[in-house]
Amino acid sequence: MSGTRKLDLVWLLLVLLSVAGAGLGGRADAGFGVTVVVALVMGIKVRLVCDHFLELGSAHRRIRLAVYGFGYGMPLLVILTSAFGDTLARLTGALIA
Amino acid sequence: MTASLAFPERTNVPDPVPAPAAAGRIPGSKAMWVGIFCELTEFALLFAVYFVARAHHPEAFRAGPGQLSLAAGTGYTLMLLTSGWCVARALHSMRAARKAACLRWLLAGFVFGLGYPLIKVLELRWNFAHGLDGSGGVFIITYYYLSFTHLVHVFWGLLGMLWVMARTAGGAYTVAEHAGLEAFACYWHATDILWLMIFPLFYVLR
Repeated sequence: MSGTRKLDLVWLLLVLLSVAGAGLGGRADAGFGVTVVVALVMGIKVRLVCDHFLELGSAHRRIRLAVYGFGYGMPLLVILTSAFGDTLARLTGALIA
Repeated sequence: MTASLAFPERTNVPDPVPAPAAAGRIPGSKAMWVGIFCELTEFALLFAVYFVARAHHPEAFRAGPGQLSLAAGTGYTLMLLTSGWCVARALHSMRAARKAACLRWLLAGFVFGLGYPLIKVLELRWNFAHGLDGSGGVFIITYYYLSFTHLVHVFWGLLGMLWVMARTAGGAYTVAEHAGLEAFACYWHATDILWLMIFPLFYVLR
């Protein structure tokens, strides 16, 4: 598959994932499972952009690891905040008070 | 005489061993990556504020996405993704020595990129019509703070895109030397990545 063809398919996949992800937004009764799915979709989309648009696969190791760390860290924080929001609120209570 | 005292020519020194593929390269330029990591750090702090605020006000953040226009949020996402795709195609065109195609892809990327501030204007009118101003509570304040900061970064990107379009039209980039174009592409994709994080946080996640 040519490089440009691959770019086109990645773009199409990103559009489909975005529309599907937006569909989850209509669920007012969303629980923890939906939060995990939303976080996974976020991580997949970020990885696709990193690998195919930003071309991090051939980039310097430190750049690649730093951006991947940021890209995977966010979905992880989404899940952790959803699961342990009370703990985070208690730990940061002094900041808010 | 002078020649006999001179240091050996550099050509006598073996060429350095090429860097292994695992070491990789720096796409664009070091300076641009300093800027991108500053951008990521700035947003990391803003995201930290988001998570702390969400932990303290779970009900406000659970109800928040229902107040915003999901169509607008999806519209931003599609505009930025499509603009990023056009910029990636522009870079591929330049590498294939198709400068006219590169310019056309950049122009398309700019037009789709302009869709972002256009939707922002429409969304703001919609928000204000629905009473979502600065007094709208912790969710809305966090939303405005993060999304407006991102808007500023999009503006920088649009200006950068105009610059690389002018440079491309002026023949400044070649197949062998187009680091400026690549550096801009890196910035634009990094800004895109940030939006891919902001979108679910404010428009989707309940």
